[in-house]
Amino acid sequence: MSGDPVGNDILLSVRDLRTAFDTMDGTVKAVDGVSFAIRRGETLGVVGESGCGKSVTALSILRLIERPGRIVGGSVDFGGRDLLAMSESEIRDVRGNRIAMIFQEPMTSLNPVYTCGRQIAETVQAHRSVSRAEAWEKAVEMLDLVGIPDAGRRAKQFPHQMSGGMRQRVMIAMALSTDPDLLIADEPTTALDVTIQAQIFELIARLREERRMAMLLITHDLGVIAEMADDVVVMYAGQVVEQGDVRSVMTDPHHPYTRGLLASIPRIGERRHRLEVIPGVVPNPLNLPAGCLFRRRCPYAMEICETPPHLTDLGGGRSSRCWLDAEGRAPEVTLPEAAHG
Amino acid sequence: MATYILRRTLQAIPIIIGISVVVFAIVYLAPGDPTARFRTPKVPPEQIEALIRAYGLDRPVHEQYISWASTFFQVWNPDAWGYSFLSGDPVLEKVLYRVPPTLLLMGSALLVTIVVAIPVGMLAALRQYSLTDKVITTLSTFTYAIPSFLVGAYALYFGAVLLPELTNGAIKFPSFGMESLGSRGDPLDLLWHLILPVLTLSVISIAGWSRYMRSSMLDVLHQDYVRTAKAKGLPRRAVIYQHALRNALIPIVTLIGLSIPGLIAGAAITETIFTWPGLGSLFVEAVGTRDYPVVLALTMVGGVAVIAGNLLADILYGLVDPRIRY
Repeated sequence: MSGDPVGNDILLSVRDLRTAFDTMDGTVKAVDGVSFAIRRGETLGVVGESGCGKSVTALSILRLIERPGRIVGGSVDFGGRDLLAMSESEIRDVRGNRIAMIFQEPMTSLNPVYTCGRQIAETVQAHRSVSRAEAWEKAVEMLDLVGIPDAGRRAKQFPHQMSGGMRQRVMIAMALSTDPDLLIADEPTTALDVTIQAQIFELIARLREERRMAMLLITHDLGVIAEMADDVVVMYAGQVVEQGDVRSVMTDPHHPYTRGLLASIPRIGERRHRLEVIPGVVPNPLNLPAGCLFRRRCPYAMEICETPPHLTDLGGGRSSRCWLDAEGRAPEVTLPEAAHG
Repeated sequence: MATYILRRTLQAIPIIIGISVVVFAIVYLAPGDPTARFRTPKVPPEQIEALIRAYGLDRPVHEQYISWASTFFQVWNPDAWGYSFLSGDPVLEKVLYRVPPTLLLMGSALLVTIVVAIPVGMLAALRQYSLTDKVITTLSTFTYAIPSFLVGAYALYFGAVLLPELTNGAIKFPSFGMESLGSRGDPLDLLWHLILPVLTLSVISIAGWSRYMRSSMLDVLHQDYVRTAKAKGLPRRAVIYQHALRNALIPIVTLIGLSIPGLIAGAAITETIFTWPGLGSLFVEAVGTRDYPVVLALTMVGGVAVIAGNLLADILYGLVDPRIRY
């Protein structure tokens, strides 16, 4: 069904995506020239602090950005077509059908006045020519698939009659009801408690595997990335600062920001008096510093950092936006303890 | 649900008794009395005395209250609400006679308000900060600030004076009453008479309701589930009408329930301006002539209507919002 004329295995490719928000105080470049690609069946993790533009990137792909936000430029190639150049009705045909999305807040992401079953059936009916009864049947089947016990009865319940974890299962059921090629999961477990988080990730991982579905997983948790993703994109202040396959990024991080993120994960069995933190705060998006955006928090900041660094290809699908890499010398991993202490 | 309604109805009993005490006290304490208009040099004091005795106004206040309240709720009795001091007619009959015109007037105004205010509010919300929105918002703020007697006076002026002048008498809206002489029961004539007072009443409530609808819709449009509906690939129409509007109407339904008392009590000012033979103008007349039984009866009707309207609002709320269960 999803025939790819190009013949490679790239499913979605985002190129130089730029999304801005017009505010009273000026224009905020929430996403500033982001590029990445997702291969079929692969999971790409996007990681970064709150406000780094990862959710806006996800929403921009499906063109769900609301005013005062607007997509300024770039392209999102999906199956040989640019999603950003499609007509309203063409993009509607992609939304919820070939690319589905689940959100951070299961408590508020479902409409309170309709039953869960109806909300899933509605998605099916929007994209498949099926009868109301068939769509309902599909909804019950999907609820069963995501592990909701007594799915037939649960389908007739309203969202408020379910717990947060159950609601996120409903959202997943809804997203997968049309067999999408790509699932965008925007911090799908942030609002849930830890044990439920694990269950939801397990469920997503299983269903993704079974359906050979690609996933764009947005999170601020590198642990989740390590667990779930094949490739990772690290974002900072609206830009990609590092990308590559998860294993090599985790074991050999290049960008100082990635190093800081990794250092701030507490490890079991390691006694520390204080958690590692990256000093300073994310720069004000209305007043970004000239040059490297991470410069003021960076332990390696140099004079050249006042000139904006470009994304340097490190080979093997890896890249980093840092002058250290551009100069062709990977920094010796000696500094962290001294620099962060 | 049935238990809930029964419980609420039972709870209403002490409230209604409380209202009756307060209402009676207010009327009793109000300056002036029903005999005031007879007090001229030509009427001998003995006759005034006789009137006061005949009306029972010389009895102690608690006796007066009990004799009024004890029969008041026997609404199956034509004389349960006493007799008008002014005309001597049974008050119940007098009030019932005035109910249909008020229901007609207020009901039409409410209908017009709903039909106009909801789409207007929606339009403003869907085009937030656009010129359309700004025009609607400015106009409604402006209109909402005009007192109803002024709107009524302008409506009269335009409809019954200026328009006939401009059209050489071709279009002339009636300026008073509910029907023209000799056209009793003619629905077209009735409609013709309804236009100006309904316009007066609805212009102001449309202003208020549309702003309410606008903010309700804006609130809903920013909800996560509306974004979910879009992300599912639903057409814009379905997103707005099925997902957003359905939720935005929930507070509006409450508003409808709460406007029921006004439906029954009538609009004193507008009815008086247009001499509409409804409960509102009856109330103004009764207060003016200190016709205690009528004033008491109408105030009680208003009080009961408020309680009933609140109950209705709560029931409707439960029907439209699945999160509410009684």
